[in-house]
Amino acid sequence: MLGLLVLIVGVFLITSSYVKAPQPIQVGLLSGDLLNFLSNTKIKDLNNPYAGIGGELQTRGYITEIDNSLLQQIGEFYEKDKIESPLPSMPPPPQTEPYLDVAEKFVQNVLGGAVPLQYRYEVWINGALLYPKTLTLEHTKSKDNTKLLLTSKKIIFGIIDKKTGDIWGPYTAEVFVWES
Amino acid sequence: MGPLYGRGICMGILKKMVIKYKDKLKKGYKKRAIKTKRIANKKMLNKKGIFFTLISITIMAVFIFVFTPQADVSLEKDTQSIKVRISSIDNYVSDLEDRYFIDVLRSGTHKTILSLVYYIEAKALEGEGSFLTDLNSAFSGVIQYGKINGEFIDDITEPIAGRRIMEGNTLDAKIKEIKDKAAETLKVDTIVTIKPGSIKVSQKTPWEMESEMEIDFTVKSSDNIAEWSKQSIIIRAATGIKGFNDPYYLVNTNGAYKNPIAISTVEFDQWSIDKVREHIENGKYIHWKESDAPSFLMRFTNTISPSSCCGIESFVNPNKLELAQAQRDQIESYMDYLFWTHKFHTDCPAEPVVYDIIGLWGTPSPPDFNDFKLDIEHLFKYNIGPTDAEKTACP
Repeated sequence: MLGLLVLIVGVFLITSSYVKAPQPIQVGLLSGDLLNFLSNTKIKDLNNPYAGIGGELQTRGYITEIDNSLLQQIGEFYEKDKIESPLPSMPPPPQTEPYLDVAEKFVQNVLGGAVPLQYRYEVWINGALLYPKTLTLEHTKSKDNTKLLLTSKKIIFGIIDKKTGDIWGPYTAEVFVWES
Repeated sequence: MGPLYGRGICMGILKKMVIKYKDKLKKGYKKRAIKTKRIANKKMLNKKGIFFTLISITIMAVFIFVFTPQADVSLEKDTQSIKVRISSIDNYVSDLEDRYFIDVLRSGTHKTILSLVYYIEAKALEGEGSFLTDLNSAFSGVIQYGKINGEFIDDITEPIAGRRIMEGNTLDAKIKEIKDKAAETLKVDTIVTIKPGSIKVSQKTPWEMESEMEIDFTVKSSDNIAEWSKQSIIIRAATGIKGFNDPYYLVNTNGAYKNPIAISTVEFDQWSIDKVREHIENGKYIHWKESDAPSFLMRFTNTISPSSCCGIESFVNPNKLELAQAQRDQIESYMDYLFWTHKFHTDCPAEPVVYDIIGLWGTPSPPDFNDFKLDIEHLFKYNIGPTDAEKTACP
């Protein structure tokens, strides 16, 4: 009886630890994959009615360079928000919607479908939280209580004015992922 | 029944009792033996249970030792984190080589040329108008350190430019920026060396400059996981010339006549008197195949010789000459590179070999360009017929 009990408990322990083991790797991969997706996909290659080529943001003049990667575009929104008065050679600001609001919607549109529902994520540029812009209590709690929170970082930069070649950055882009 | 008989009965009873006693004794022994046997059996079973438990524990210990994922995961985790780290640094190295240095060189080229044009203008306005003696040397000093002839170029150009163009925008400043950011973000040390004398600017096409530099760079992770080292990397960047003021006009008019580069879109066989008028008005530049004109960069050093690949020319507007307090009516061809080299200048009474473009007189009213003249070669190039041109006579 005791031997049987030892066997059952042992098997239970081993299998239960096996179930938990892959979690850190998956979260790690997810945060890296999200960052890779953002930095390797260009606007011109994105089929998205809001953020992709010919989409709403391009029509409204928020996206002017379709060769930008998604991450560069997020960085550009951040940079444009920082510039109080646009450079003389830059086209006038297209609409009244703040660039950071656009950046948040942009991230939601491009990553919304890519992240499994049980995970939560944040996108930071140069120490500023761009997604989600406003933190809910649930979000904060989930982040505080998670056992494993992983981040991937990348240095980003881009051209703010194609005519003069003026560049923005370099900034640090960070993606945080955790299981909610 | 005698006493013997009675004795015999007693003996018989006694015998029976003895037998019974013996039986009882035997039965007692048997029970005890069974009991003992049972106890022995039980003991045997208990010994087997312990043995089985021990085996189970041993098996589980072996299983736990062999299959416990903890050891695997930690190894895998370590490998994974190293892999992710190397991949991040590798991406950074690729970004540096493929994009950052190019973007920085392109941006630096634009700002340097802009600064050099302002520098020439500032000097011209001070009455010290002169061309650069060595464009590459000036370009290299300004783009890398923001200095020309040992001075910060911003100190000279700021009054007319209204801002310090090169401050924070030199190659050195931009390389430091990314180096600091990489140290903070990726915990790597980036060492970039620009080879002395390798920064150059030239033209291979009429409307673009090509700048280049040769660099060595090393990226080393702070934990010594890996190191990337690239030697003699040539970085090239193309920068458009559109919008820059032509230094040739600035020097020749003491900074009073500014003619920013605007590109003509007229095809070689589509010229007419109207298009010439439009080009004089707007100061547009034209490129001819196998051109006799100098390129944009040659204008910085007053190298007025043909640039077959990249020569560009524009018409000098007599009205703007007047505004620049220069004589508007001169016996010259009003093609820019001929006008100030006085190639067709003739002192009367010798016969001038330039033509008044009478087709430009009187239209629109008041006449705009009645002092404008061209040499015969350019009359043909711009398709100006005999009805629109008349040989210039001495006054």
